[in-house]
Amino acid sequence: MDHSAIEVRGLSVSYGSTPVLVDVDLTVPIGAGVCITGENGIGKSTLLRCITSLQRPDGGEVEVFGGPPGSTPEFWRAVATTVEPPTWYPGLTAREHAELVCRAHGLGPQDAGIDEALGRFGLTSHADAIPPSLSSGQKQRLTLALTLLRPSRLLILDEPEQRLDPEGRASVAAMLAAYLEDGGTVLIASHDEVFAAAAGTSVVGMADLHTP
Amino acid sequence: MTERTDVAAVRRWVRRTRSAHRERGETLGNFYFAVLFVVIVGGMLHRQLAAVFWPGAPNVSELAAYSLAAALAGGLYLALRRLGPLALSRPAASWLLTAPVSRRRLLLPSLGLAVTAAAAAGALGAFAIVGHVAARPVPAEVFASLPAGGALLGGALMLTALGAQGERRWSSWSDDAAYLLLAAGLAGLVADSALAAPRAPAGWPAAWVVAPAAGALAVVVLAFFLLAVRGLAGTPNDRILEASRTAGTFADSAFGVEPSFVTEMVERRYWARRRLRSLRLPERLPVLVAQDLLMVRRRPRRLLWLAGGAALPSLLAHAPGWVLAVALLAGGMVAAGVTTASVRTDAGNPWMLRMLGLSSRTAILHRLLVPGVLAALWYTAALILLDVLGDLPPGPWWALGVALGPVGAVAAVRKARTGFVDNSLLPLDTPMGSIATGPLLAAFAGVDVLILGLPTIVQLAQGGPLSWTGVIVQAAVAGFGARAYLSGTTAADRVELSAH
Repeated sequence: MDHSAIEVRGLSVSYGSTPVLVDVDLTVPIGAGVCITGENGIGKSTLLRCITSLQRPDGGEVEVFGGPPGSTPEFWRAVATTVEPPTWYPGLTAREHAELVCRAHGLGPQDAGIDEALGRFGLTSHADAIPPSLSSGQKQRLTLALTLLRPSRLLILDEPEQRLDPEGRASVAAMLAAYLEDGGTVLIASHDEVFAAAAGTSVVGMADLHTP
Repeated sequence: MTERTDVAAVRRWVRRTRSAHRERGETLGNFYFAVLFVVIVGGMLHRQLAAVFWPGAPNVSELAAYSLAAALAGGLYLALRRLGPLALSRPAASWLLTAPVSRRRLLLPSLGLAVTAAAAAGALGAFAIVGHVAARPVPAEVFASLPAGGALLGGALMLTALGAQGERRWSSWSDDAAYLLLAAGLAGLVADSALAAPRAPAGWPAAWVVAPAAGALAVVVLAFFLLAVRGLAGTPNDRILEASRTAGTFADSAFGVEPSFVTEMVERRYWARRRLRSLRLPERLPVLVAQDLLMVRRRPRRLLWLAGGAALPSLLAHAPGWVLAVALLAGGMVAAGVTTASVRTDAGNPWMLRMLGLSSRTAILHRLLVPGVLAALWYTAALILLDVLGDLPPGPWWALGVALGPVGAVAAVRKARTGFVDNSLLPLDTPMGSIATGPLLAAFAGVDVLILGLPTIVQLAQGGPLSWTGVIVQAAVAGFGARAYLSGTTAADRVELSAH
């Protein structure tokens, strides 16, 4: 296959009269890891939302695995993202959410290693809790655990290190590095260049993506 | 230590400052509007109100009177417990509960309001029972003392609920007792309709029973009230805050015409109180069906209520056939709704659906299965019961119940998919004033699909015997309707439940 995982050309987005993205270009080859950095409000999350089709740009083109991003089941089976805030099913525990996601992708709880994943994210003692009762950091860990448990070809994560303690950051960075080693593609937005390096991603400044 | 401030003075200051921001005559205008509203609605509905509270002649039995009293008492207690019963407004909960003011004086007006409201509800209930049961002419002392007794009972229930508000163990025990009372009352009403129990004799209820009972109740209420005032300051803060949030959510819901606020609050509180243990989702079944089965397993009490509720349509056995049919169809929609909270979640934010990578068509198809079975079981039970009680002409009614399953399921799922009320829709101008279309459409979402049960409505309205052809027609309409709903509102190449 000769196409990239993500190809963004001339992307423009404005909020009212305020331009946020102006002629942004980005290419992420298959199997690569890219971390976009930049100050708050520069448009990192907006870019990720456009790439995942959760926001319509004013202009420009986005391709994911050679096709337009969309709302098809095939797209969402290939792409796992934490760009949107998560919602949780009422009456389902954290572990059951994990099992639900794995089973929907044809994985048994044993094969998927749900208990190990919850353990790695420090959620073993919270496996029976309903997610709304967890702290914001624990919810973030659970969201990442679900994202990494299910099979995917491309991870798009918005500030995955947020609300994690130093140990949690190191653990998530190691898991992202392992995901890349297994042939997956990673695009993250982050303020933490140390985290980005530990995750094996190359750092790109948001300002550099605007076409001069 | 900080000195205590006079709470009455603080409230006076708040009231004065707020009224300074209001236009002159605004309060008077509101009062005028409220009076006008009561007069107009009273004028429009006075016949219906008379039928509910004081029909021309007694129309139910003595057994129904006791059953109604039990059901109303249980229902009133549960309503009071859901509302608090002791609550403060949200601003008062935020600013005055944490201020150095006398808690007893802060909470006394709320206590007075709650006692008055409960007493009014009790009096109205007792008045309606006398109206429906007592032979005419009703003796003056009964006419006066029974509503007074009802008011005292309402007050006693409120003060009991107040005790339960501060004590978690007592609250769960008393809630169970109230549920039992409500269930027993409803069972009594069903038994009354099935057995045609005798009417109350002239002179019921005997004045020598009512007056001493009301007197004893007055003593109990007074004692409870004094105890309540004494222990008022000890009501835990978290309970008052929870009740204030409930009151606030109801106010938001009413002000914004958005019933989903209340639905969401009830759902969230229910699961927050439960202690769950993770279970394995049943294998071999589609994953969303497995999830719905787990939800059914986790709501045994709701299932019990639904099983009991299958007897309620028999209360309408003597009503016009179409009324019975519509109530029956709506009951199945409620039964199917046990598992549709997950559909509501997906309709609000499809994050989980995207994580699961399922198409909206697969998701809704699987989400219809368990509700379909629940609705079919409920319809079958209700129709069998009506048949056994002799309220239906001959025919294979159980089969009609099975055939109706998809109707209840589609209605419940459609209701769950509605999401927020669309208040941006243009209002309809009518000779009676303008009607907001958004809340109207939201209120009828789901109920409109019950039109798929039209063959059953026609069948029950005509009152003829049910043939197998009738069952097959209903099954075909329900099956095709469900299929059309699925193909018309979902897509195999779209994850989100709604197309934007």
